[in-house]
Parts: sequence; structure tokens; C-alpha cells
Amino acid sequence: MSGQGLEQLVKMVNQISANMHGATDQQAADKVATHLQKFWARSMKEQILAYADDGGEDLTPISRQAVERLREVRAAG
Amino acid sequence: MLNYYDPRKDAFSRDLGTPARLSEKQIALTIDGLEITVPEGTSVMRAAALAGITIPKLCATDNLEAFGSCRLCAVEIEGRRGYPASCTTPVAEGMDVTTQNGKLAKLRRNIMELYISDHPLDCLTCPANGDCELQDMAGAVGLREVRYGFEGANHLDAETDDSNPYFSFDPSKCIVCSRCVRACEEVQGTFALTIDGRGFDSKVAAGQDEDFMDSECVSCGACVQACPTSTLMEKSVIDQGVPEHSVVTTCAYCGVGCSFKAEMKGDQLVRMVPYKGGDANHGHSCVKGRFAFGYATHKDRIKTPMIRDSINEPWREVSWEEAIQFSARRLKEIQARHGRESIGGITSSRCTNEETYLVQKLIRAGFGNNNTDTCARVCHSPTGFGLKTTLGESAGTQTFDSVMKADTILVIGANPTDAHPVFGSQIRRRLRQGATLIVADPRRIDLLKTPHGGRGLHLALKPGTNVALINALAHVVVSEGLEDKAFIESRCDTAPYQAWRDFILEERNSPEALEAETGVPAAQVREAARAYATAGNGAIYYGLGVTEHSQGSTMVMGIANLAMATGNIGREGVGVNPLRGQNNVQGSCDMGSFPHELPGYQHVADPAVRERFEAVWKVKIDDEPGLRIPNMFDSAIAGTFKALYVQGEDIAQSDPNTQHVQDALTSLDCLIVQDIFLNETAKYAHVLLPGSTFLEKDGTFTNAERRINRVRKVMPPVAGKEDWEVTQDLANALGYPMNYSHPSEIMDEIALLTPTFTGVSYAKLEELGSIQWPCNEAHPDGTPTMHEADFPIGKGQFAVTEYVATEERTTRRFPLLLTTGRILSQYNVGAQTRRTANSQWHEEDMLEIHPSDAEVRGIQDGDWLGVSSRVGHTVLRCRISDRMLPGVVYTTFHHPGSGANVITTDSSDWATNCPEYKVTAVQVEKVSQPSQWQQNFQDFDRRQKDYLENAGPDATADEPAPMGK
Repeated sequence: MSGQGLEQLVKMVNQISANMHGATDQQAADKVATHLQKFWARSMKEQILAYADDGGEDLTPISRQAVERLREVRAAG
Repeated sequence: MLNYYDPRKDAFSRDLGTPARLSEKQIALTIDGLEITVPEGTSVMRAAALAGITIPKLCATDNLEAFGSCRLCAVEIEGRRGYPASCTTPVAEGMDVTTQNGKLAKLRRNIMELYISDHPLDCLTCPANGDCELQDMAGAVGLREVRYGFEGANHLDAETDDSNPYFSFDPSKCIVCSRCVRACEEVQGTFALTIDGRGFDSKVAAGQDEDFMDSECVSCGACVQACPTSTLMEKSVIDQGVPEHSVVTTCAYCGVGCSFKAEMKGDQLVRMVPYKGGDANHGHSCVKGRFAFGYATHKDRIKTPMIRDSINEPWREVSWEEAIQFSARRLKEIQARHGRESIGGITSSRCTNEETYLVQKLIRAGFGNNNTDTCARVCHSPTGFGLKTTLGESAGTQTFDSVMKADTILVIGANPTDAHPVFGSQIRRRLRQGATLIVADPRRIDLLKTPHGGRGLHLALKPGTNVALINALAHVVVSEGLEDKAFIESRCDTAPYQAWRDFILEERNSPEALEAETGVPAAQVREAARAYATAGNGAIYYGLGVTEHSQGSTMVMGIANLAMATGNIGREGVGVNPLRGQNNVQGSCDMGSFPHELPGYQHVADPAVRERFEAVWKVKIDDEPGLRIPNMFDSAIAGTFKALYVQGEDIAQSDPNTQHVQDALTSLDCLIVQDIFLNETAKYAHVLLPGSTFLEKDGTFTNAERRINRVRKVMPPVAGKEDWEVTQDLANALGYPMNYSHPSEIMDEIALLTPTFTGVSYAKLEELGSIQWPCNEAHPDGTPTMHEADFPIGKGQFAVTEYVATEERTTRRFPLLLTTGRILSQYNVGAQTRRTANSQWHEEDMLEIHPSDAEVRGIQDGDWLGVSSRVGHTVLRCRISDRMLPGVVYTTFHHPGSGANVITTDSSDWATNCPEYKVTAVQVEKVSQPSQWQQNFQDFDRRQKDYLENAGPDATADEPAPMGK
């Protein structure tokens, strides 16, 4: 997926970040990562990870942290 | 095989004359020498009926309070003077009643003689012949002559009112028993009928003595059912005669899930009569379920499978076998070329549980991925997420009957009298008894106009500010010490509660701080919060006005927070109740339609869950969630998603941002649509598989109160197959074997794999009539009220509900907010109701606009209005209405050509992607012609209908297509 599809995914993850809260940014990011892992399709996760690899410039700070956390979760299996 | 089974026939086939009384105190009396004990308050008539003694009656019926007007039910009571009416006389201890003797017989004959002297004697040609209580009573009292003659003053020339498309009103046959008037008041709550005039001139009148169609009548049919003669009579019975057998089944319209007797002549459906034994509706109905069934035999029904290589060519009629093979071949080719995840399917909230289960099984087991979703995505997916997170189960907590014990009823973003009419009538009944009503809605809904015994508060909030309002309500509860500390302490998890409490107490969540945001005066919010929290029993009912927002899931959690904080969970009269839109939204969610959850809301990533399913399904299940509907669209446009199997859904009309949906559908290499009509989605399809209506199949629906009800086949499917059989054929053609011979076997498999369904079987449904899940070892007869002792997750989880304003906000370019909804006579995309006479009430979707917004734009009632949002433009006719606040416009989406969803955007709920239908920033202006989209729609529609009309047998087929079309 590219262009519009990716734009939509970035919008979605930023919206999730804006709505999930934690005592610290890391806690919030963990919750967002759990949400992505639980509800997003494999292809969507792969795209957002690839986007973050490329700089992920439109991700908000929490989203960026969340995507990195998602990478760890997936690597841990 | 047609099913003639009619459960609990005895209990509900008799009319006991007056309603049941529930007193625990028992009264003993003697009737005609028989001793009987009944609850205090029971009428003598009902006591007699329970003892097996039938007292003649005309004005009494057991779904209406006694009225005592016909006097036919007179009895003698030892020690009392005269002949009291047994319907209005309550039983008393030691009472000795005589129901039959010479004096009573003479009295009753005299009364009947008077009735018959002003009644046409055309029994043989009367539509009620054989189904007329007047006729029966004349026989019962032994009327042999009418001494008064028939020449005196009479009503025999009274004119028939045929204005209603479904029933006729012939006042010449009326005996002025007032049953219709009382049914309209007591059962329906509309008060459209009255008795006009006095004495001999008394007559039944609709509205201000108008035709039924011009009056406030909502055509629910309660009066027709109550009428003891043929005065109010279904036109279908007038045309076809009295039915000869009936089958109890479940309505396929809204989420109330009313039980009906489908009354038949052979395989012809004559009328649908609400079934008294139905636990959801107790014998009431609305204009859709009662009358709008003609679509089932409409000429537009698809009767033959069809295929085509491209959507720009005519359809080819083929055999079932060829259509299924064609579909399987295309799906396999696409997967071979584009990968396992390049195809998916959509289950239907209009189909049965068994059919939905089978479609998601086909996708997970046959397609080998989790790309399954359902239309609940666009309505109640936030309910699933929000309630599961807080209360531990994705479902409403109560029965409908629970509302009769509610002291304060809080209705948020729902319009029950239009969208859930039978439950709306029940709420009205409770309001007449004095319950307090709070409505949180941008529109002034009709419930607020109900004749009411108590208080009614309207919190007219701005669209998109739900979470701010629920936080403000909760702030009042906590800051004014209205919490139920004992409940919170014993039932809720401490740390999340404390975090929530600290958050909600912040000054920024006070009604005063949020007044500017919500538009609701702080004093009103405080009054509402107190009314809810201190009522005793506070019950919340909500609809799509809660879920279809960018913070839909947050709002659902906010509602659960409020209910837990006030202890309004876990008993009758309270609870959190999502009102489901379509008949089987609850069921389709329960059956594993969502991409991340197997049946019973069991996550696909849980190895133990997958293992159980894999053992029964004998196939490996993907451990990652699949695509949701909007993700499928995005992926289709991006070119990675290539084929879709859609059963009984019309995504091209019902989903937001129509042009985006159209782009997605035209990007697919193979779209398989299974439906009863050529719906909007089918116009983009390559395979069209004929669907079957609820009358043509066996199965179950699950309503908004988790009630599993049987759907029973009353006629054969027009194209020869029930929907589940088609899915099974497709699975087999794809190489994944399915061998069910009846839906009951599918239910057995569901029960095997779904912990909340382990006790459910067709045998148990026959025995109990209906079952509310969870039904398992712990709850063998089902669970009417949830969370009585604990939550499925142990302790209730409060959730912090930070208000985040939607990005969809008004600007100078788009200064108005559009919100969408439904009306009573039409259902969802209208595919069914538009093909019935219900269209007489709603021929087109209109744009409602406030008088002040209309005035500044120079707009008048009936003008054509261009409505533009950032994604699209359409044209609707104007209706000026002050039901909304200034700045808010409203429309419905029942007609495809209206293009209501051309303007709604891709903005959606953060957690579930449920579209934000309820908030779209728009501009409105006067125009003189349809929009470009509408012109394109008309061209495309005409072309696709031509393709259907010109469909012929497949010239390239090996064997000729089946005859019969």
C-alpha cells in the first residue's frame, strides 16, 4: 500500500495515540502498541513499521514510540 | 421441509380477557362451583378463563386494561346486587361467581340483539368470516332473532376509509368497543385514535376526524389486531381470505427482534401477526414487521445465479454449479497471483447466526486468512470494544422488560420510536407510569413528546461533543457525592477507578467548563446527573448517535463508567443497553465476524482458542487479525486486495464516502454478491448469487437483549437455496469441506466452540421459546440480566475518557454540521421497505434544516438544496424543521439516489474505524439540478439495470441454464 493507504494508516495511528492515555508517554505508547498488535492486520503493521524505518515524519512522538514498541513486541513473537 | 411447529401454543393462543396481575398475595374464590386461586387484582373474567370457563365478551382482551363497556361479560356474584361486569370486577377472597344461568343468558342475548340491530348481516361475504368475535358471541349467546328490525337509525352507510395501504377501516361494522382506541394508547402509546361524539353518534375517529393516513397514526397494527370485527382489517386478508395455518418466527427488521406468527395459506404469506408469546415484543409490532413483507415476493427478486467477466457487460444466467465454480476459480486464481491475504468477505447482520458463522468460517478456514468483517463495523463496533474493555462482555446488560423497573431512563443518541418502535412503545408505557426521561441528542426526538407522568429533560448537545457531556455528567456524580461507594468497592478494580476519579474531578470536566463545548447549560447537566444517579434505578439506552463518532469507543466507555459509578449495573431496571440497528447485529458480532475475533469474542492471537477451533475445523487458523472493511477499501484502491465475497450487505450505499467505496469496488478483480435484490453493491459485482429472505430459511437471530430467537422457514427459497447452503457450496468448491444438512447442526458447532453458547441448541430453543446468552453450565436457561454477581473479567474496569474534539469541525466554507439517521417506515438502505407500500410515508430522503439557517440562505420548504462536504456534493429537497439546533442539518440514507453518504467522510472512531456518520461539516445552498454524482449515479444505475433485464442464458456454458426464470 502506498500514497492514500499509507496516509490513512498514519492518520489512524496518530488518532489512536491522541485517544490513549497513560501516566507516562511510554505507558501511553505501550497501550497504543498493544492496540495495534491486537487489532491491525499483518499487512498494516508491516507498512507502518516500514514507514517508521523510512523516518516516519508524520507520526506524532507517541505514535513513533508506539511503533517502535510494536516492533519489539513482534520481534519477541 | 416446512415447519409447522408453534411453541407453547396453549399458553398464548387463548385470550384470557384481561391482563395478568403479578401480586404475590393469592386469592381463593369459587366460579361455577370450581375453586380457583389467583393473584390479587386479577379480574373475575381472567380467573374464570384460567379455570377453563369462558365468559362471553366483546370489549375485553388480555393485552388491554378492562373497560367494561359491552356488558356482555356480566356475571352473578353471591351477596352482590345486579350483574357486575366480570372484566372490571377484581376477585375477592371467598367470592362465589355464577357465569351461566337463565337470567344471564337472557341479558346477554338482549345485548347482542342491540348490537346486531346496527350491524350489516353480510357474514358470508365479510372478510372476518370465521375470524370474528361478534359472530362467535352471537353464536355463544344463542341469538336467534332481532326484534328491533334493521330499519331504524343505524351506521350501515358509514364510508370506508381505505387511505392506509395495509388496512381498511369500515365503520359500518364498528361496535364502538374502544379496543382500537385503547390499543393505540396502551400498547402503542401514540394516542392517534379517539371516540368522537356521544351516545348513538359515538364513532371511532383517527386524529382530528381525518383519514388514517392524514392522522398521527403510525400504522403499527395494534388497532387492527385488537378489533373484534372486520372494522379494522388487513387488506391482505380482504384480498386473500382467512389464513389456514401459522408458523412462529422472528422479524428480520430492527434489533428488537419481535416474534410474529406468519399466517399462511399454503406457501403464501397472508399476514404477519405479532406473537403474544414473543419475549421481546409481547404481541406488539410496528409498520415494518407487521406489514412490510411484500418485498419477499417482489418482482425484483434475483431468482437465478449470474456471472460476468466485467461490470461493463451484461449478466449471464448460469446454473448454481457454474456460478459457484466460476467464483471458486476466480478466488483461487487471485490468491495464486496476489497472495493468500488478497481476498476477504463481509458477513451480514441481516442473515442468521448460522449463516454468519459459516461465512466467517469460510474466510478463516477456506480463504486461509482473517479478512472478515461485518456491517457492525459501521454501527456498533465501538460497543463491542467499549463494553468489553470496561464490563468484560460485548453486549447490553438487560432485557427489554427491565425498563419497566427503571426510574430514570437516559436515552443517548437513539431514537427508539422510529428505529426500535416496539421497544419505543415500551419506554413510553414506563414514562406514562411516571419515570423520568433524559434525552441527550442534538434533535428533539419524538420520545420527548410522549404523554408523560414524570419529568422530561432534553440535553440538546452539539454533534461531536458526547464525551464532553458524559464526562460532565460523571463530574457531577463524583463531585456531589452521588457515587455508589459500596458497588465501586466490591465490584470495580481500585487502581483504574482511582485514576478515573482523579481525572473526572478535574475542573476542566465540570459542566460549567464544558458548557461552551457541548452547548448544554451546566444547570441542565447537573439536574440530569442528579436525576440519573439518585433515581433508585437509572437505565441507559444508546444508539448510533453514541457509536458513530471519532470518539465512539470512548463514549461507550464513558457510559459504562457512569453506570458503574452509580451502581446502576447488575439488576433489573438499570444497565447499559446498546439499541442495535439491524435484526442480527448482536448475532453477527457474536458469531466471529470481526477480523480479530473468533466466535464468542475470542481473540485470534490466543493459541489456546485457536487450538480448539483448529481441532474442530481441521485447518490452521492465521494468528493475526485481518482487514476491516475500511482497510479492505484502502487496500483495494492500493491494489493489494483483489476479491470480496459479500453476503447480504450493501456497502455501496450504507458505507461513508460513497465515491471512495465505488473506487474500491471498481478496483476489485472479483466481487461476489449474495443478495435478494440487485443492490447498489451488486452493480459492481462479477457474480450475483440469489439470497433467501427470512421467510425462506431456518436459523436464529440474536436481538439487542442477547435473545436468541428461532427463524422458521414458511416458504421455499425462490432460487432453491438457503443462504447457508450457498456458502457451504462455495467452501466445498474451494476445497474446504462443509457438510451440514440443517442449520441446527451449525448451531451445535457454535455451541461446541463458544463458551457463552454451550447450552444453546434448537431443542432448547423449542423448549424455552428464546434464550438470552450466556447460556452454559452456570446459566442453563440463559441470562436475562448480566453482571449480577461479577463481571466476566472479574472486576469492572473504569477507563479514563479524555475528550478529544473531532477533526471534522465547521469552517467558513462548511459552516453547518450534518448528522444522519433513520425514520420509522424505512429500514436501513431501504432495499426491503422501498419495495413495499411503506414508501408512501417516505418517498425520498429530505434535508431538515433549522428555520434560522434556512432564512439566512433564502431557503424555503421543498427547495432543492445542494449539500457539500469536503469529500462530495449531493442534492436533496428541503424540509424546514426546528427539531435540530440552529447550525445542525439532518437527513436519512434510505434511498440510494439521495447520495447521503456521498457527503459523509472517512473520519472514524479511533479504536474501531466505525465511521463518523453523525458529524460532517457541510454547506447548503439552493440549486436547480441534481449533483454531478447523482447524474453519474443515474446513468450507471440505468446501465446496470439494463444489464440485469437483458440477462440471458450463458451462451458459452456447457449445459443450458435452468428453466424457471
